[in-house]
Amino acid sequence: MLRACRRLFVTLLLVLFFTPLTEASDKAAQDSEGAPIDVVGKVVDHHELAVLGYHVPLPRIFLVEGDFFVYSSTECAIESGDFVEKNGALMPANGAEITMDLSITSHLMYVWFGLILTVWITIAMARKYKQGVGRKTEPQGWFQNLFEIVFVFVRDDITKKNIPDDKYQKFVPYLFTVFVGISFMNLFGLLPWGATATADITVTGVLAAFTFFITQWNGSKDHWEHVFWFPGVPGWMRIILTPIEIIGLFTKPFALAVRLFANMLSGKIMIICILGLIFIFADIFGSIAGIGMSFFAVPLTVALYVLKAFVGLLQAYIFTLLSAVFIGMAAEEHAHEEGIEAHA
Amino acid sequence: MGLLAAGIGAGIVAVGAGIGIGMIGKSSVESIARQPEASDDIRGAMILTAALIEGVALIGAIVCILLALGIGGG
Repeated sequence: MLRACRRLFVTLLLVLFFTPLTEASDKAAQDSEGAPIDVVGKVVDHHELAVLGYHVPLPRIFLVEGDFFVYSSTECAIESGDFVEKNGALMPANGAEITMDLSITSHLMYVWFGLILTVWITIAMARKYKQGVGRKTEPQGWFQNLFEIVFVFVRDDITKKNIPDDKYQKFVPYLFTVFVGISFMNLFGLLPWGATATADITVTGVLAAFTFFITQWNGSKDHWEHVFWFPGVPGWMRIILTPIEIIGLFTKPFALAVRLFANMLSGKIMIICILGLIFIFADIFGSIAGIGMSFFAVPLTVALYVLKAFVGLLQAYIFTLLSAVFIGMAAEEHAHEEGIEAHA
Repeated sequence: MGLLAAGIGAGIVAVGAGIGIGMIGKSSVESIARQPEASDDIRGAMILTAALIEGVALIGAIVCILLALGIGGG
């Protein structure tokens, strides 16, 4: 398996070397109007998937006042005559409002890639454990060993530590999916032409919403008592405390979403800006300065790249850990004792 | 004006997060030095607290990005 991976890697490198790089750079030069490098265009969502320098258009799906319009690409939508392009966005030609834009975008594709990979690996490994490999014998091969390390880490160090003992088993599947899925999504952004799906607030928002709903569904009686009728404080304090607690329910997943989003976005912007210095210098001081700058910028980018790989895994860990902490806080049942000291 | 506000804001956010995470790092290194056998628990608590501070700082940073790009009625 290791040899197969190595062969695949070398093939991939060769393919990357011979792909039409010039085409990609021409396209980039057209996209950015005048500016030497277009930072925002690199991090926002696109309606096309960049594969090896080619741009594969993705389907556009619109819901306009009860009717679905499905096209295989943006060009098809314009050619059909039902839609016109206005300020870079598609609008219905007859002046109607788009009720919902359900187009498949590059970030959505990368979410799917990450989740399909997670599901595929997990099912393959589950089949192995069902056959008895790893239960009756030792885990076989480097991949199963790696899988087991990650799984035991999520189960013991993240879930068991933060969620009460009698309930934790229910949450291991969710937390493991989130951990591995986010790791894949973060690391896909490091591939050439890849997009970081988690550098999109909608993706992280949906992930945080999952955590929010799971937290509230599994909230114990004590959790809701603490929200609406905080025990052990003077009565008038509850006028202040209850709104704060209710706001607190929503700020926790909001902070979860923003943290992952901002970390991945900032890493990406940082790499683009430092590489962009080469083009900015070349633009202002001539190509010699650009070449000189590249000796400084490229090693720095390599260092940032390694840092970003680490941050990607760390943020997946933090997201999972905080999800576990929030679920654990809500699911916990206190041994109730009367008096203020019990809730101090 | 938006750019100026974004620059000043990002600087203040960095100061706040720097002080906070620096204090976490200081006290956790001190406690690990005092009690090396508890280093795993301390590291976990350190990452958790740092993540909470980071969340607040990043919300500030996002507001600064929105200001700089002029999104949101700027």
